[in-house]
Amino acid sequence: MKKSIVVGLAAALCVSGVAVEASARDYISIVGSSTVYPFATTVAEQFGKATRFKTPKIESTGSGGGLKLFCSGIGTEYPDIANASRRIKKSEYEQCREKGVKEIVEVKIGYDGIVLANSKNAPQMDIERKDLFLALAKSVPDPANEGTFIDNPHKTWKDVNPALPAVKIEVLGPPPTSGTRDAFVELVMDEGCAAFPSIEALKNTDKDRYKSICQTIREDGVYIEAGENDNLIVQKLNVNPDAYGIFGFSFLDQNTDRIQGSKIEGKSPAFEEIAAGAYPVSRPLYFYVKKAHIGTIPGIEEYLAEFTSDKAWGEEGYLTDKGLIPMPDDERLRFADDVKSLRPLTME
Amino acid sequence: MQDVEPSAPSSVRTIDIINRRLNKRYRAEKRFKRLGLAAILSSLLFLGLLFTSIVSQGYSAFVQTYILLDIHFSRDAFDVSNLAGADYNGLIRKSLQSLFPEVRDRQEKRMLNGLVSSGAPFQIQKMVMSDTSMIGSTRSVWVPADDDVDMLMKGRIDRSAPEAERRLKDVQLGWIDGLRGDLRLKKKFNRIFFTSGDSREPELAGILGATMGSMYTLIVTLLLSFPVGVASAIYLEEFAPRNKWVDLIEVNINNLAAVPSIVFGLLGLAVFLNFFGLPRSAPLVGGLVLTLMTLPTIIIASRVSIQSVPPSIREAALGVGASKMQTVFHHVMPLAIPGMLTGTIIGMARALGESAPLLMIGMVAFIVDPPGGILEPATVLPVQIYLWADSPERAFVERTSAAIIVLLAFLMVMNAAAVFLRSRFERRW
Amino acid sequence: MNFPLLLIVIFVFSQAAYWLGYKKAFFSAGEKGPVHLHSRPQYYGTLTVLWCVIPPLFILVAWSVFSETVLTGLALKTMSEYTGNLSPDEISLLKSDLRNIVSGRFIPPAADAALLEAADHYRHMRDIGRQGLSALALASMILGTIIVLVRIRPGMRARNHVEKMISITLITCSTIAIFTTVGIVLSVLFESILFFQQVPVTEFLFGLKWSPQMAIRADQVAASGSFGAVPVFAGTVMISTIAMLVAAPLGLMSAIYLSDYADRKFRAAVKPLLEILAGVPTVVYGFFAALTVAPVIRQFGESLGLSVSSESALAAGLVMGIMIIPFVMSISDDVINAVPQALRDGSYALGATKSETIKKVIIPAALPGIVGGMLLAVSRAIGETMIVVMAAGLSANLTANPLQAVTTVTVQIVTLLVGDQEFDSPKTLAAFALGLLLFVVTLILNIIALYIVRKYREQYE
Repeated sequence: MKKSIVVGLAAALCVSGVAVEASARDYISIVGSSTVYPFATTVAEQFGKATRFKTPKIESTGSGGGLKLFCSGIGTEYPDIANASRRIKKSEYEQCREKGVKEIVEVKIGYDGIVLANSKNAPQMDIERKDLFLALAKSVPDPANEGTFIDNPHKTWKDVNPALPAVKIEVLGPPPTSGTRDAFVELVMDEGCAAFPSIEALKNTDKDRYKSICQTIREDGVYIEAGENDNLIVQKLNVNPDAYGIFGFSFLDQNTDRIQGSKIEGKSPAFEEIAAGAYPVSRPLYFYVKKAHIGTIPGIEEYLAEFTSDKAWGEEGYLTDKGLIPMPDDERLRFADDVKSLRPLTME
Repeated sequence: MQDVEPSAPSSVRTIDIINRRLNKRYRAEKRFKRLGLAAILSSLLFLGLLFTSIVSQGYSAFVQTYILLDIHFSRDAFDVSNLAGADYNGLIRKSLQSLFPEVRDRQEKRMLNGLVSSGAPFQIQKMVMSDTSMIGSTRSVWVPADDDVDMLMKGRIDRSAPEAERRLKDVQLGWIDGLRGDLRLKKKFNRIFFTSGDSREPELAGILGATMGSMYTLIVTLLLSFPVGVASAIYLEEFAPRNKWVDLIEVNINNLAAVPSIVFGLLGLAVFLNFFGLPRSAPLVGGLVLTLMTLPTIIIASRVSIQSVPPSIREAALGVGASKMQTVFHHVMPLAIPGMLTGTIIGMARALGESAPLLMIGMVAFIVDPPGGILEPATVLPVQIYLWADSPERAFVERTSAAIIVLLAFLMVMNAAAVFLRSRFERRW
Repeated sequence: MNFPLLLIVIFVFSQAAYWLGYKKAFFSAGEKGPVHLHSRPQYYGTLTVLWCVIPPLFILVAWSVFSETVLTGLALKTMSEYTGNLSPDEISLLKSDLRNIVSGRFIPPAADAALLEAADHYRHMRDIGRQGLSALALASMILGTIIVLVRIRPGMRARNHVEKMISITLITCSTIAIFTTVGIVLSVLFESILFFQQVPVTEFLFGLKWSPQMAIRADQVAASGSFGAVPVFAGTVMISTIAMLVAAPLGLMSAIYLSDYADRKFRAAVKPLLEILAGVPTVVYGFFAALTVAPVIRQFGESLGLSVSSESALAAGLVMGIMIIPFVMSISDDVINAVPQALRDGSYALGATKSETIKKVIIPAALPGIVGGMLLAVSRAIGETMIVVMAAGLSANLTANPLQAVTTVTVQIVTLLVGDQEFDSPKTLAAFALGLLLFVVTLILNIIALYIVRKYREQYE
């Protein structure tokens, strides 16, 4: 008798395992960038508490991984929203269209400043992007020989520009896999090397070489690739007053008691300066919504409304407490309007 | 002995040389023994260090600072048909205002409101929704304080530091001292930590969601890996013929036991998510991946346990006419089952603490609502720890440690159960 | 009839079937009594249960797997004039709407009458289907039972039938290990092949520069990413070496002390304690390494005037070593205990002290086993993920200085797969190539180690 009970129970268990009725998804699924993650989660939590909808599920997969999942197709098994710390690429947009994701609504949520910071125990630095390029690029123009390039010989900031302190160059920054690094290269290194006519000349003759000179960061130990854990960078800056770190504004904001941001081209990375667009090194953050899912997955429109409300992304909204730099009023209005009318993105 | 002390005078007796050498050998013996003891003690020292460092960082998260507010639920603040739409934040602001009427400046008001957690309005909302009779009255309510206040109360913010280097400003410290003087600020048991899911605000974050996720994942793992593991062990140990195919299976099992767990994550990503199209972040997928990971452990432990049953038992059963199957199921299994269970518990404990493969299958996610089934999105305790360890807010450090304490407690209970089983049922033949 | 009820009915009926089979066996034996049955009556009962339970369960499983697809298809057919000119993707959305309406959880505001009607149709069909399913399941259950009952007679080899079924189950279970391995290989192989089409194998294996950086926008020329994995291997080897330098002596000495010196009480108290070290989750070690050990090492190093990276290989390696102490200990313990007592006795009889016996007799005898165990520990150190993800760095330095930051294979897999890059770029594919490599290296280590350990065990058995 015992045996038959065991057989019966085991079989029942097997079946009930399979028989969990697969039902339609009733929560929003969000994937994407780890930079947008803190903002998206804050909004999601507010949204989940304040409405009758379930709290969205947010995965931190990175912008690329997120857009890849997002663009895999239409249907409940695919995410509804993708967060990105950069704009969607044309190739990704086309991949989306190929898989039937034809209408995407683009929402720019604000800016994230990338800061160069050091310990409060050392003086604040004021630096130009072209000096940053000279300090961090792998090869720089040879001052003695116009038109040729040499391996970066600069050891101290003073070597780069006599106005800067005579302190050893030591910069802790993000690794190549990170979106912050990509943005830093684009906003600082590319801009910095544009200041050299000899490099500008290359642009027309040898484009590949031009890019590789502008975008390759030196590897002789001066630029140290630190981990994704920006908390550790902050700690390290604290004990080493000579070192500088590169990271997102929100970590500077959380640690104003210990570190200070360097001025770049005379503008300090303060909240107001970044918001006004005066601070040169800031990047926009986005998220993308699958229009076809609106109406099928409950709550997407309400989530969008929460995100684009003034109490969230406005100048005094709760997202600014988490370190988001809001857009200027007119830009905010424009995007809020786009969201309301669900105007799909076009990319030509 | 000549070559030891070739120039020894003849007056030295052989016995002295032997004794001297003996003493030396005994000293070496003692040294060696001490070395062994030192090795054990240093391992234990590491264990102690690990535990003290985590407990000392985490114990304070089990209490949380609350603020007592007198909230006036005035009738005109509520629209009975739409209770959820009322301005609960406003109620809290008003009650704070009444405590500190001298605060007028807009900036200062913001700082004052910052003392209370942003979860407080929702707590008030829940209260009102469950009991509408309180509309029109004034109640005293304990609401959670902001994490900065909590950190200050626990002494993790240095108040003697210069104002610019503190997250709480001087004026806020003044208010906090005032509240403390009125007995309106108190540390109470942190119920939120055990009864809510994840949150971006440290003071509202809890481990219930992750614990439920861990539970569902483990149930799936247990239901699949125990029967399958025991069945494979029985087959390999009792029935399998000696041939190439069985050799291949054995090599595979032994190798899988030592394959890095992250590789199983890659397998889960490619097979369960991309090929079978199972939902991301679901405990079902986590359970499947962990099943594949723990199976070898369970199979190996079960085989050892079957091996330890002496052949005389089998021979006796076969001798009185039992079939091979009867011998195994009626006589060998009952003697081997405690060992199998021990192996299974140890395997489960490993699965409970595992996080690397789950990173690959979408369980690194922000999930607030505790999961209600094996197909709903969930995260597990170790992954929650990993997520919190990366958060910028300082109050998350103690919460991470507290979550580790909870996880370790679960693991200790499981390991203790395994040790108990082993000592209770272990037989020496 | 709903699902749980159906299961309960099947369960109850299976108990009845057992009793019926049992009684039928007795009955068929007639006056000669159950002694004349081929098998014991219980086996006839069990056989009946199996035939009574398996067919309906098979039907139920098939229903729960396929019903939704079939029903949705049928429901959409009712609105065919509407769906005729839709693309497959729009239809997939429509299906999702339909399921939402049917489950009653959320009614899309844009739902039109045709859709609502289709949903009604769906519900209707589902109800009919469920009734049919119940009838079919119950019928198959009864039919299966009757077939067995009719065929029960004294000469029927019930036990052999039952045992055959059990052994089929056992064999199926034991092959899962092979499928797992095949699955692992297949899941990393395809992406790796894609990767090696873009990056030559030789560059990957022998290149000295690891910098998986690609352009972030289409209009940027791809700054050449380099995928020379040597620095990554070097980092892995360095951290594993540090870990083994900690774990090997401590683990081996602990095992020797516990097996040859410690008294019973000490052993009983200490062994479980050390096993706790093995049970601590790796994410906890990672947290401990990053927040407690690394700062201590840095401060200590700085007080000596050394420059120490906050993500030094030393911190990660040290903590990883602590983690594998119990692993080394338990393997060495096994191996040392497997050395026959006769060898020890022989050595003592010649007047050797304990330590001499251990050093001169036991360890040489156990050496192959110990080496095998160490290799297993190394493969565990190489594959360990969380400690290095949290405590080691990402910079692929080719250095021999343990105070600098290095990176490992597992760290790169995690960061490449959850980074910000495009998905089809070599960056992400590199993760799979690293995964393949990790699998192959640990496979080779494991096979060598297991071979040595097995050879060694056989020597003394």
